[in-house]
Amino acid sequence: MIKDLISTVKDNRVIAENVYMITLVLPESAESFHGGQFVNLETVDKSLLLRRPLGVCIAEGNELSLCYQVKGKGTKKLTEAKSGDKLKVLLPLGNYFDLSGYKKVAVVGGGVGIFPLIAAIRENKDVEFHAFMGFRNKSAVCLLNELEKCRSLTVTTDDGSYGKKGNAVEAFLSEAENFDFDAVISCGPPVMLKALKQRLAERDIKTPCFVSLEERMGCGVGACLVCVCKTADGKNARVCKDGPVFDINKVVL
Amino acid sequence: MADLRVEICGVKFNNPVIAASGTYGFGREYNELYDISVIGGISTKGVTLEPRLGNPVPRIAESSSVILNAVGLQNPGVDHFIKYDLPFLREKGVVTIANVAGSTLEDYGHMCKKLDGLVDMVELNISCPNVKAGGMALGIKPENVEEVSRVAKRELKKTPLIVKLSPNVESIAVNAMAAEMGGADCLSLVNTFTGMVIDIEKRAPVIANRTGGVSGAGIKPIAVRMVYEVARSVAIPVIGMGGIMTGEDAIEFMMAGAVAVQVGTANFTDPYAMPRIISEMSDWLDRHGIDNVNEIINTVK
Repeated sequence: MIKDLISTVKDNRVIAENVYMITLVLPESAESFHGGQFVNLETVDKSLLLRRPLGVCIAEGNELSLCYQVKGKGTKKLTEAKSGDKLKVLLPLGNYFDLSGYKKVAVVGGGVGIFPLIAAIRENKDVEFHAFMGFRNKSAVCLLNELEKCRSLTVTTDDGSYGKKGNAVEAFLSEAENFDFDAVISCGPPVMLKALKQRLAERDIKTPCFVSLEERMGCGVGACLVCVCKTADGKNARVCKDGPVFDINKVVL
Repeated sequence: MADLRVEICGVKFNNPVIAASGTYGFGREYNELYDISVIGGISTKGVTLEPRLGNPVPRIAESSSVILNAVGLQNPGVDHFIKYDLPFLREKGVVTIANVAGSTLEDYGHMCKKLDGLVDMVELNISCPNVKAGGMALGIKPENVEEVSRVAKRELKKTPLIVKLSPNVESIAVNAMAAEMGGADCLSLVNTFTGMVIDIEKRAPVIANRTGGVSGAGIKPIAVRMVYEVARSVAIPVIGMGGIMTGEDAIEFMMAGAVAVQVGTANFTDPYAMPRIISEMSDWLDRHGIDNVNEIINTVK
């Protein structure tokens, strides 16, 4: 059941260069959230008519923590939200990483794409996760304490300033044959997801792979048809309602 | 509690707050948030003769107090609407206005013929580029507005015709009179204003289509002025829209001459905007000792 709740900001702080984590206290439990789902959050500026769709990173008790990169006017305004401020939040939105039946899962994340993956890692406590997380450089690396909950963690940076030099997709592929993964989950910039799809096809890796997509949104509930992606069968799917999580082979990246 | 019922061309609405085309789909998604039978009516997502996939993404941008969209009429086609979406709206008992868009005059005729008697009203979207008008929208020149109204009206024996007016014209009042001449039973206005937002870092428009339709709170004074002008130029009823976010905004449009209003962008800002606006209208009327919403229509001094 989708609800529009009035949340209270508990904390809103920088966790990496240009990346914030905002923690909201809800009037009810947040524990029914699934990793991959998102919320539509008001900014503090009434002249911005659209809410901001943000993936849930941590849902615990009555609290939701969401992470966002400061990109435009809306996210910039959101950094001004202070402890005690009230923000309306529409939730839960979208589908999620459904890992029922999977035991050993590779997690391939890039940049701000790691946040919904962390929610999936936290939720599926019985799954053995092996994470491959790529960042631009050391100043973009964050939430390692969460990622260290995985059985193994490989961190890469584009410039080698932290972890291995390289990217998450290649790090994953170099290990893919040593492990016997029964699923892959991924979220990150479009270029990363595209590379992942291409490399899986090249290597003829048939392991099920689920990706979470991002798109500029209007309503967030599937009515306005603003945030579509192309599907493999030549149709459109709504990222907010049919996604944001899709089988990598069923969408055009 | 004030009586909010209004009647337009013989169609009875429980209240004057109608969902604006393109912001509310065919009602299913918002019905997951609240029972949509509480709203006055729904103008459906614009349907075309054949299914359409619409424009590339991004399809939306934002600017101060407004948004821009260029969805490009993604829709499942009129036959799919009649078979799969209309029964749901019928079951909900919500007044259903089918919004139709065509790329030729014949398209409008065919769709009106299919929809006649099946829906409560038909609303013509004449703001899309059209073959007949050499790629220009039929809603721009008064002679085209009159002709498309006539073509649609000819096929609508049972269902009243609304013509939705574009504000991107020389004189919206002249186009309103042209639609009335062509046989429109009702007018709705305003459709979106064509606009553009540029990402200065990328030196490129935010929307893939480059331009988009501007809607939301920021356009309200222009829309109110246009509704006021049109309501004084024609004898047929007018449905007003453009930036309505609150019950007070809706009252303002009705005072300007609208018999009902449509709410679009507000649904994105507040997914419960429509039931809220209905209750705010009722509260305003109660506070002012007005027991029937019809008493405020066209009362601006």
